[in-house]
Amino acid sequence: MIYLDSAATTRPNETAIARANKFITEEYFNPSARYGGGASVHAEIERAREFLTAQIASCDKFSLVFTSCGTEADNQAVFTAGKRGNAVTDGGEHSAVFKSFIELKNRGVEPRFAPVLKDGRVDGDALLSLVDEKTSLVSIVHVNNETGAVNDINELACRVKAKNPRTVFHSDGVQAYGKIPVRLTENVDLYSLSAHKIGGLKGTGALIRRKKFPLQAFLFGGGQEGELRSGTENTYGIAVFRYAAEQKFRTLAEDAKRLLCYRELLFDRLDKELFARISPNDGSPYILTVSASGMRGEVLQRMLWEKGVAVGTGSACSSKKPHSRILESCGYGKEMLDGVLRVSFCSETKEEEVLHCAEAMNAVASEYKKKLG
Amino acid sequence: MEKVIIIRYAEIHLKGKNRGYFERVFSVNLERALKGIRHELHRTSGRYLVAGYTEEREEEIMERISCVFGVHSYSSALVVPSDMEHVYEAVKTVAPTCGTFKVDTHRADKKYPLTSMQINAEIGGRLLSDFKSLKVNVHEPQSHVFIDVRENGTALVFGKFVDGAGGMPVGTSGKGLLLISGGIDSPVAGYMLAKRGMTVEYLHFHSYPYTNEQAKEKVVELARELSRYAGTMKIATASVTHIQEEIHAKCAPELNVTLLRRFMFRIAERVARKQGDKCLITGESLGQVASQTIEGITSSNAVVTLPVLRPLIGFDKNEIIVRAKKIGTYDTSVLPFEDCCTVFLPDFPAIKPKLSFIEEEESKLDVEGLVEEAVAGLEQIAL
Repeated sequence: MIYLDSAATTRPNETAIARANKFITEEYFNPSARYGGGASVHAEIERAREFLTAQIASCDKFSLVFTSCGTEADNQAVFTAGKRGNAVTDGGEHSAVFKSFIELKNRGVEPRFAPVLKDGRVDGDALLSLVDEKTSLVSIVHVNNETGAVNDINELACRVKAKNPRTVFHSDGVQAYGKIPVRLTENVDLYSLSAHKIGGLKGTGALIRRKKFPLQAFLFGGGQEGELRSGTENTYGIAVFRYAAEQKFRTLAEDAKRLLCYRELLFDRLDKELFARISPNDGSPYILTVSASGMRGEVLQRMLWEKGVAVGTGSACSSKKPHSRILESCGYGKEMLDGVLRVSFCSETKEEEVLHCAEAMNAVASEYKKKLG
Repeated sequence: MEKVIIIRYAEIHLKGKNRGYFERVFSVNLERALKGIRHELHRTSGRYLVAGYTEEREEEIMERISCVFGVHSYSSALVVPSDMEHVYEAVKTVAPTCGTFKVDTHRADKKYPLTSMQINAEIGGRLLSDFKSLKVNVHEPQSHVFIDVRENGTALVFGKFVDGAGGMPVGTSGKGLLLISGGIDSPVAGYMLAKRGMTVEYLHFHSYPYTNEQAKEKVVELARELSRYAGTMKIATASVTHIQEEIHAKCAPELNVTLLRRFMFRIAERVARKQGDKCLITGESLGQVASQTIEGITSSNAVVTLPVLRPLIGFDKNEIIVRAKKIGTYDTSVLPFEDCCTVFLPDFPAIKPKLSFIEEEESKLDVEGLVEEAVAGLEQIAL
């Protein structure tokens, strides 16, 4: 099978799994245990924490809390910071942030949604105009998970802080970490990660925070993670995350360069009579979103699956399910929204897979058009 | 004190010379429902007793019995020696301690030293003297105490009758094939015929890749839920993808659904004859959608000779929903996976299609070949 749905989840990194295996078979001790074994596992977690933080931020200024997933990290960020006044985000957010903002309304905080541009980036000026002296939180996704558009979060954070220094700035970095080069400035208070988008395992996430930022706990118990996230640490998941990240960051620049070529190669090979481009040219090299306008993306997706190619989609073939909220907010019409397919890469993606995928996409779309056109 | 469950059956006693047959099927169904739970099933005059189970499983047994058709009512009861002391001990555990009550005795053992009335008076009197807040009311009591004096020197003591599912034992009215979609109606239609004793088998049509795997899984789940009542443990699925593509390519778009339904009926009839099903069952309700008008129904019926039973034909949607909730299929039915992809739906389906027009359009298709192909690709899934 050709797997090109890595923005949904990546195939776990086998080397990382093999290296971390000892935390299941031998060093299975509770990191809180006071004997040697416990201490050594605890030290391993601390090393992972430092390593994962250091890849995108200064360890003097930032630290990291392990969570069970990116969604948990986003929730902890939004509900810690969104306590009063209003909170600003945009239509291009992952549901983990978007739905948390909807929930803020029930908690007496006014959610404000900035418009997004056609490519999926937030409209910076419009965002700024929504920030005022009562804004407690701004949350902007780093890489839009449906179009691959990249927001310049350091710059946005800087502008937000200039307007209201007390506003907390959070960014969901799930599709960016290990893929897009970035160094967090101190204007960014919180940044969410997920392991399974870079070869780690599902069930492991993290929230990077500025050290001075007063993060609030939502799980209480044994006081792990400096009282910020109780619950016995997922040592194995954390270790896989760290080893997978080691590999990912080592090849970050060359992967980005190569995958950018693949992304353009893929689009180049697609039949332009059938597919229109949604992803911006300057977006993430890992994501190419297109639309077979007038067709059903979900049906094409299953036809591709039958041909041994797995890709993502933006909508569901169902009248009960609306179209992709994110792409709808980019301003696309029904015909385009119906036909969305998202092809997403990982470090291991090969050129022949990309070529094969383009061929299969052309084939299923013309078959569809022939049968239903 | 041993606990038992008394099961009374519904219409079987009306069945004259066939009664033995109905009772045999009924007890087989009861045994099947209780499979996996240790118990003994005894038949006594006009009812069944479930005994020999551990008390913590009683609730589960009652729940399963509540799904067996042919059960009029059932009660959880205590079995005690029929002397007054033992009977009263049991009565005290089922009787209320306040409010109004009535003792109702049935005496099968005609040699018992007290008559039914005397037993009522004796037990009632003891309760009144032990519980000062109790009062007798023989016309509209808040609670009942039932005593059944049996011929074997024991008595059954219980406090209430629970209504059973009613109907006839499944299997006593032949077999039928239910055209099951993922919607609310068809499971209810299947339920209603199972209630009248029909063994209901299932056939589901899908159009993968235009519909998804989740839609199929949803239907399998619905069939599984229905099986608590209907007993059938498999579902057949057939693909109508090619048929839909052909209709779409060659025929008038407004007849899309009408023509598809005719194909579904033809395929269903072939499957039914192969499996020994004596009829087709659908969840159609008159006028609910464009294909369920009398013209639509006429057009579907025209291609089959087996009877098509439509138990919901006169029901409003709301009435069907109430039943689906009661049966327990509603929550699955409303999951958002559609079994019929909207890509093929015409903007304006024909509401009153003329048979001559339908036949003319259909003649553009290789009907026999397409039906054969669908039947050949039939898939059986165990529930």
